[in-house]
Amino acid sequence: MSTDALATNRNASPPSGVSATSDAASTPQVMGTRILDVKDFSVEYGWGEGAVRAVDHVDLHLERSKVLGIAGESGSGKSTLVYGFTRLLRAPGVITGGEAYFNLGDSQGTEEVLDLIGANERELRQVRWSHISVVLQSALNALNPVVRVGSQFEQVLKTHRGGLSRKERRARAEHLLSLVGLDPDRLARYPHELSGGQRQRIMIALALAVDPQLVIMDEPTTALDVVTQREIISELYELRARFGFAMIFITHDLSLLVELADEIVVMYAGRLVERATALELYEAPRHPYTLGLLNSFPPMHGERTELTGIPGSPPDLSDLPSGCSFHPRCPYAMERCSRETPPLVNTGETDRSVACWLHSGDDGVQVPIELSRRGPSGSTPAETP
Amino acid sequence: MNVEATSELQARHLTRHFSVRTPGRVLNARRVLRAVDDVSLDLRGGEVVAVVGESGSGKSVLARMLARIVRPTSGELALQGNTIPLKAKRTLDYASQVQLVLQDPFASMNPVHQIRHNLVRPLLIHGADKAHVQAQAAHALERVSLSPPEKFLDRYPHELSGGQLQRVSIARALCVRPKVLLADEPISMLDVSVRLGVLNLLRALCDGDRLAVMYITHDIASARYIANEIIVMYAGQVVEHSRGTDLVDAPTHPYTQLLIASVPDPSDPTSIAPETGARTQTLIAESGCRFSPRCPHVMDICRDTEPPQFLVGESHTSRCWLYRDQPEHAVEVALPVRRGGEEIAETRH
Repeated sequence: MSTDALATNRNASPPSGVSATSDAASTPQVMGTRILDVKDFSVEYGWGEGAVRAVDHVDLHLERSKVLGIAGESGSGKSTLVYGFTRLLRAPGVITGGEAYFNLGDSQGTEEVLDLIGANERELRQVRWSHISVVLQSALNALNPVVRVGSQFEQVLKTHRGGLSRKERRARAEHLLSLVGLDPDRLARYPHELSGGQRQRIMIALALAVDPQLVIMDEPTTALDVVTQREIISELYELRARFGFAMIFITHDLSLLVELADEIVVMYAGRLVERATALELYEAPRHPYTLGLLNSFPPMHGERTELTGIPGSPPDLSDLPSGCSFHPRCPYAMERCSRETPPLVNTGETDRSVACWLHSGDDGVQVPIELSRRGPSGSTPAETP
Repeated sequence: MNVEATSELQARHLTRHFSVRTPGRVLNARRVLRAVDDVSLDLRGGEVVAVVGESGSGKSVLARMLARIVRPTSGELALQGNTIPLKAKRTLDYASQVQLVLQDPFASMNPVHQIRHNLVRPLLIHGADKAHVQAQAAHALERVSLSPPEKFLDRYPHELSGGQLQRVSIARALCVRPKVLLADEPISMLDVSVRLGVLNLLRALCDGDRLAVMYITHDIASARYIANEIIVMYAGQVVEHSRGTDLVDAPTHPYTQLLIASVPDPSDPTSIAPETGARTQTLIAESGCRFSPRCPHVMDICRDTEPPQFLVGESHTSRCWLYRDQPEHAVEVALPVRRGGEEIAETRH
């Protein structure tokens, strides 16, 4: 690829730090095959002087029936981002900028775009559960502890499928449980009588109760042991193949995402630092943080060698380092990194972006070999040195 | 492997039963929960023994028995060759030799006191000279690579990150100069990027200070990374045990195989749906092999008779009837029973 093409590519995708969609509000949204489009989205906790920016100008989009993985450590803003555009954020969380659109149309290509940020409570209620459902991290806290499991299904179905008779609702609930491999007799149980894995399965069954098009999973398997996690993941995989819903999967476990997701975005200190397809990200990471994360999982095969992980600690959001937030922990940090924040730009490869000055294409910046590996699609981020 | 390593802490046939109420039965109907059943292990200076198991497998109860916080139902413990009278209360000396590091550093530090207080208090309790405690506390922080110590001593726990605080709790355990460190899931609450740092620290303490470390985890990949010896527990029993990484590289017990197949492995795209057997409701058999309801290789004998540990390789045992052709593994009689310095020869099965 020529340097010219690279430059054009970079110009084509504006830096995420700059509001590029200021005129979008007036023009009608065309979403095409996209089910979700989040633009320049920012969330802060608190107000005024002491506000902490948890999500910083994030762009995100998701195609119908695809799986998007959001990877990041605690405090990286991954949950806040999702709670923000689904409008589940509670005070002191404040959406301070950006737009989010959801495509209510069906897979036949009809379009009916809902502006999630501008929507009122009534519109949101129509979208929630029947179009977008969320599986929360702690299944124990997300289920009502004093109501039997069956009644919790009953409530959802009554609200969102008013036409069903009592008998039909019961049958639907039993069917949903069978989808996640649970016995129908669990409906008569209280949440505390079930194991963690069973509770998480019930959360998933509840999320699927009224055929949503987008299911958001917030660390659904973090509290579970690895065998149960594996079972739930393969169940999710089957269910998605069967019903074709799109999925956003939030986790800190990058190795799990690589297996599960079509596309992955990596967040650090409230910003997207890298976006790529799962395989590309795993085989050929471009951001030093992604590389560090991938190297933080001890391998199951091969020689035992000493791994270093990432030095230092995740940053405090109320006291972020200047420039690129990752620079104090970055082994490749340059002088520029402490001054300027790198925008998320295309690397010159299809569907890949990274926010790192190493890939700025500037003269004199040598991209380290481990960050310029050839990806599965055969492309490299820059001219071979 | 280091053959000269001496056993700091030995456990033989350690067992703990709890009496639990059975839900849904007659009021007050109780049954016995075998949380830990007949576990024997040696913790040697300069070595890391990893104990891997899912929640409820008894690994934490095992650690608490070794720390003598939970009293064993039966079994024996020997610290540096001296048998410990288990009926007696834990002594201060035992506590200073065997220290426990817990999973959640935020919950295990006193939040209303500075790090200095959290480090100095155990020193004073263990009779350190008041004149030196400040220096010792600072030194302890340096040992866990928190330097300069002055930067941390006057902070409160909430001002530190999870990784830093877990280092502080390791420092707190180390400042009384223990021989044995029991680390119960020390990294599972930490951010992915700082986990390796804590693991490397444990390994370095083990190598540098000849500390005997027990590392409890549910993450078998991290066990493979730091351990000299790996133990897999299921429902209170040791199902597989090996020196080195044999257990991970060539697992023999069906449960270990399932555990390893379940680990996300990005380098293997086919691993998305391995055979996990029947969809399980986590059944534990009351008789026979405890894994038999979930086991893909289950045979008649498994349902009736509990398997012993078979020797499937040099220092590699597996509690599974699939290996009944192999010799049975007998736990070494090596508990050199010495009470008050006097040697008593005893044989156990």
